[in-house]
Amino acid sequence: MAILEVSSLKKIYTTRFGSNQVEALKNVNFTVEQGEYVAIMGESGSGKTTLLNILAALDKPTAGKVILDGQDLTGINQAKAAAFRRDNLGFVFQEFNLLDTFTLEDNIYLPLVLAGKSYGEMASRLQPIAAQLGIAELLKKYPYEVSGGQKQRAAVARAIITHPKLVLADEPTGALDSKATDELLRLFRDINENGETILMVTHSVKAASQAKRVLFIKDGEVFHQIYRGGATSEQLYQKISDTLTMLATGGDGR
Amino acid sequence: MKKGVYLKLAVDGIRKNRRLYLPYMLTGAVMMMMFYILAFLATSPVLSHMRGGTTLKTILPLGTNVIAVFSLLFLFYSQSFLIRQRNKEFGLYHVLGMDKWNICRILFWENLLVAACSMISGIALGIAFSKMAEVSLFRILQEEINYNLSVGVGALIETIRIFGLIYLLLFVYAQVRVYCANALALLLSVNTGERPPKGNWFFALVGAIVLGWAYYLAVTIQHPLQALLTFFIAVIMVIIATYLLFITGSVVFCRMLQKNKKYYYKPNHFVSVSSMVYRMKRNGAGLASICILSTMVLVTLSSTASLYLGMEDSINDVCPYDINVEITSYEPTVFREDTFAAYRRVIANTGVAETAHREYPMGEILGVVGDSGIFFDMNVLHDFSPNAYGKHINVRLLPLADYNRIMNADERLEAGECLLFSKEKPYLDDTFAIGNGRMLQVKKILPSFFAEGRSTIELEGSIYLVVQDLDTVRDLVVSANEEAGNSIGNLIWKYGFDTDMPEKEQIAFSRKLRDSVRTFFYDADDNLITNYSYGINSKAANREDFLNVYGSLLFVGVVLSSVFIFAAVLIIYYKQISEGYEDQSRFEIMQKVGMTGKDIRKSINSQILTVFFLPLAFAGLHLAFAFPLVFRILQLMKLQNMALLAMVTFCCFLVFGVFYAVVYKLTAGVYYRIVSSMQKA
Repeated sequence: MAILEVSSLKKIYTTRFGSNQVEALKNVNFTVEQGEYVAIMGESGSGKTTLLNILAALDKPTAGKVILDGQDLTGINQAKAAAFRRDNLGFVFQEFNLLDTFTLEDNIYLPLVLAGKSYGEMASRLQPIAAQLGIAELLKKYPYEVSGGQKQRAAVARAIITHPKLVLADEPTGALDSKATDELLRLFRDINENGETILMVTHSVKAASQAKRVLFIKDGEVFHQIYRGGATSEQLYQKISDTLTMLATGGDGR
Repeated sequence: MKKGVYLKLAVDGIRKNRRLYLPYMLTGAVMMMMFYILAFLATSPVLSHMRGGTTLKTILPLGTNVIAVFSLLFLFYSQSFLIRQRNKEFGLYHVLGMDKWNICRILFWENLLVAACSMISGIALGIAFSKMAEVSLFRILQEEINYNLSVGVGALIETIRIFGLIYLLLFVYAQVRVYCANALALLLSVNTGERPPKGNWFFALVGAIVLGWAYYLAVTIQHPLQALLTFFIAVIMVIIATYLLFITGSVVFCRMLQKNKKYYYKPNHFVSVSSMVYRMKRNGAGLASICILSTMVLVTLSSTASLYLGMEDSINDVCPYDINVEITSYEPTVFREDTFAAYRRVIANTGVAETAHREYPMGEILGVVGDSGIFFDMNVLHDFSPNAYGKHINVRLLPLADYNRIMNADERLEAGECLLFSKEKPYLDDTFAIGNGRMLQVKKILPSFFAEGRSTIELEGSIYLVVQDLDTVRDLVVSANEEAGNSIGNLIWKYGFDTDMPEKEQIAFSRKLRDSVRTFFYDADDNLITNYSYGINSKAANREDFLNVYGSLLFVGVVLSSVFIFAAVLIIYYKQISEGYEDQSRFEIMQKVGMTGKDIRKSINSQILTVFFLPLAFAGLHLAFAFPLVFRILQLMKLQNMALLAMVTFCCFLVFGVFYAVVYKLTAGVYYRIVSSMQKA
């Protein structure tokens, strides 16, 4: 069953006086199945961030549709969009985006508190997640007291504690060292195996090679995709590298 | 680098940060304007020709001193805020290869430009508004107004001198700040994660205790003179307590709320309480300053306005009639009807036309309050320290015939009987003892008594006794003096009359009358006969005195209040700006995590409201507790009307509250603009 359907998505930015138009997304089509782990790759300026913002209902497309679990995101108004994000999406950002005024625990609770859950329920939900992510000991600490990898794990906990339909990750390894990166990617696979659907936007071949499917975006279109199939991560890594080389040299992969 | 570069960078820096710099320059300009206006009025030749201009000339310089000191402190506060906000920019210059010396040169130009702009506009505003201030001062003093605009050269030089010095100090301070900072620290200063503030229970508790103590002092003080002293102690205590409570107490309170999981983990409280802790830590001092400034404004305005508005009451209290003559003799035995007739003749000889008049003799005995009457303990009577407050009492004795005539009554008394009136507290006994020797039967308690007129402050209470006749009065005074072995009693002849003379002539007339009366009390060698004292008081002269003192106080009060208000507004504005920048990123995250713009607005709104109106609420509380103390002090200045003071105080608070709300609305707009501008970017 497709949990996310993106069809004919188009986004045109207009400069303030309307004289200049920039086409960020030309025509994007793809679907994500329930339980999938998809990575989206592309160079800077290829439209990755625009795509992610539209998927998060933070931005509106010029044309086209985004349907998440049967609901059309493009028709949703701003006030409802926030509630929609809270109920259906989990976010992991490159810069963690933890509030420095909260302990890690309170940061993780934030979406649940906003949804009006009781403390008892929140605590019982957090317990297994914290154990899985290895942050049970750190919950009372503040973001400034822990390492980048630990912050990112707290952010992952915040993303999945609401049991979202889709976890959106925006360069989640971008600010991490290689050891923390490996650990985070392992956690993403674990989470995915537990049934979460993950859509990750990344630059990193290493990060993308962990996914089950990799989409390549170039000039505002989905240019190519690779399925893992039975390949190991190392094999997928090689395939992705080859594709990127081809993209950069301007070959036609379709 | 070329010379022009620094100037250009400085101009750029100011222009890019105009949100910060404009208010800063405006503050400087306004402080200077106020300073110039007061200095101008103090040296104005017009004032010298005015009646009582000398009073103003002593009060106005006090105001300029306050403004000078306050400007120094306040501009320092603003300057350090500015530098803190711009640290990142300086850090960037540093990384780009400028050394500290280069940055100092940019700062030099910036400071020079800011100082020049502030001074030029401040002085221009000062000159422009000095006439308006002069007109309103004259209106307060009920003087005639002329409309010539003039420039006070002396005041101008003084303003430039004082503020030039202040800006020079500010410049040096800025240089030192930048020079001592480390490059990396400059660059990173905005980004470092901050430790969560710990609630300091100890200081919070100390703050609460000090505040409670100050309030207790303010409420329990009885003696007006002691109130004056206590007032300053209480003010200092309240200032300390306010800072402690705002800085630590508020954090402790938020921490307590966080411990209560049921309360804390609610959408409405979760974000507010947690960010409030940081907000209070950073802004506690600023909020406390706002609170104290507001309290100062309210106390200054309400007391000076009450004095001014209650002036007629006070004048009537001192002078029941246009002209009042009072002759006191410490030799009661020789002070008789024929002596009075001689005084009367002097007044009649002036040929003044009296429209109404009142004459009566009165006896006066100072004693110690006893169970049912007074007794004479010289140790207590000579004790004028606050300990003795409430123990002394003046017993005033009036012959029945005079009472009946003045009050238009028809009372009758036998020997040994009296009528009694007590203003301060109800008198319950049937008898009234004067010392050990004399005992009067109280025939009746009088509900009211005519206004008597007192030219001096009365710290003692008083009781009026109406007795059979003047001989009885004299007899009681004499026996009291004998028993005490001291001159504690005397006889007074009082004569007051109204006239339709114009006020100016009344003053001249009373002066002339004083000279005529004087002849009675000086012997051939022009030495004062010591057993007498005399006083001639005119309402007109009193009104002039009151008007000068209270009018000048009101004027200076209003000017200082506007300076304080201006400072409070600027602190509020800077607070909103700094919080706006801090909250930008927080807003973004919250929105991504699933808060709607409306939710965020609501939560932020409630925080800002709390943070904003906390100082006002505390100022109100301070004001309420200061009220009894302020009233006692104003009593020294002849204000007796507590209801008037209460009403004026209440109105001041109301007007100030509305003003405060408007400022909030305006500055909150700036805050939202900052926060939402980043959201879109």
